[in-house]
Amino acid sequence: MKPGDRVVYPNQGVYRVVGVVEMDIGGKRQSFVRMQSEENPAATVSVPREKVPAIGLRRVATGEQMEGVFHYLAAQFDDPELDWKVRHRDNADRLIAGGVLGVAEVVKGLHSLSRIRPLPTKEREQYDNARHLLVHEIAVSLGVPAVLAEDYVDYALMPPAGVKFDLKPPPTPVLLPSRPKKRRPVAEDEDDLGLSDLGIDIDLAGALEGAAALPEGDLPAAEGEEGEAATPGAEAPAAEAGGDEADEGEGDDAAARPAKAAAKTQPKAAKAAPKEKAPAKAAKPAAKKPEKKAEKKPAPKKATKPAAKPAAKRGGKKK
Amino acid sequence: MIRIVTLERLDPTDLAFLTGTLYRAFGVGTEHAGDRHLPADAEGKDGRVDAIRLLKDAPPVRSLPDDKVLYITSAPLSLPKGPLGEPPCWGFAEFGGERAVISTSRLPARGVTEASIETWRKRLAREAIHALGHTWDLHHCYDARCAMHPSWSQGLAERPEMELCTFCREKSERKIRLAKT
Repeated sequence: MKPGDRVVYPNQGVYRVVGVVEMDIGGKRQSFVRMQSEENPAATVSVPREKVPAIGLRRVATGEQMEGVFHYLAAQFDDPELDWKVRHRDNADRLIAGGVLGVAEVVKGLHSLSRIRPLPTKEREQYDNARHLLVHEIAVSLGVPAVLAEDYVDYALMPPAGVKFDLKPPPTPVLLPSRPKKRRPVAEDEDDLGLSDLGIDIDLAGALEGAAALPEGDLPAAEGEEGEAATPGAEAPAAEAGGDEADEGEGDDAAARPAKAAAKTQPKAAKAAPKEKAPAKAAKPAAKKPEKKAEKKPAPKKATKPAAKPAAKRGGKKK
Repeated sequence: MIRIVTLERLDPTDLAFLTGTLYRAFGVGTEHAGDRHLPADAEGKDGRVDAIRLLKDAPPVRSLPDDKVLYITSAPLSLPKGPLGEPPCWGFAEFGGERAVISTSRLPARGVTEASIETWRKRLAREAIHALGHTWDLHHCYDARCAMHPSWSQGLAERPEMELCTFCREKSERKIRLAKT
């Protein structure tokens, strides 16, 4: 970098290299590139020489590159990215590492999106910043006032009625370095969905109920059978899942799942409690009606059976 | 303060409407600073006036720091050609500059009916707000209802609004608040 060179500081704008100076920083002698902002000459920045590539300082785009940018701006645009998180992150990356075409991509992408719906505040600011950076780089590159550069940009983006451009194929955008993907923290949800879909939720509740009721021994045979049937049913999926996963050798996750499943049964049991209340309430009128009727007629056996279950349970709890 | 300079005579009622609208748009005092003549050699071979040159050579007006001067002319303005052609010019101003110029040549004809005069006045005010907005560092806006939307856009309504959108208004207010005077 020589004095007088014009460079683009990512996300900041165009700077002119003033010179290279030596400075003592923390007892270490370092050489710094001193730069002056083109927009605001009072602002100067000193960057350690060895950090120049890491910061992303680059030369102002040439006339040829700028022509490509205009052809890109005037070209038909694909569907804009609709996931705002991905879009915002990609746009931030493009502004830093995408070069002048990356900045143009941000402007065009957000402009296209603004035609579909108004931009949220953050993206509106990002759009304005990107436009500012693009306009000033074009102005410096083409040697025209910034307002005129903006007119050129908008002439390409929003051509007047009846104007058609003879466009060349736009340059290929710079590929951004891929970010590491985050691990999905949704293992619990998956378990949840699977169990509820299979209807195991209900069985587990029934199993617990059955387990609580079994020692009392007052239950009718049918309920006892249900409880017995449900109890191994509840254990089986956990055991099977644990066994299968252990066989597959998935490691820690596999070992953690049975524990999670076991932990889950507790809240489910808690959930099951209000569920039990509902049938009990529903059973009350059902039980009362036959009693009233029983004064007149002898009560049918079937009608008294549902009333017996909650009664037996309450008695068990009291004991 | 905004000082309006007319390079051709303008109807006083039109001027009164313009000053009132500019005051409402920016919250800054606005006055007519008188008539001046268009620079003699401003006109090009094609009969149009180079907007950039006009802004440089425009007759000076006594003003304070942070004042903005708006020149109004009826001569058609031109701009240098860009990579994709010459954008139509309704006005011109530098970002953060002191001067702005607008032309009435592209406005709809100012007829004799009240409706057509109203339309003309509103469009003149919109272009004035647009040009002065650039002097307060406002960029073009994608919102077609905002005065900072490009004047040639196909999305622009037939009778466009002469107001700034919330974003542009807040930005201009911040700039005006930061002004030294």
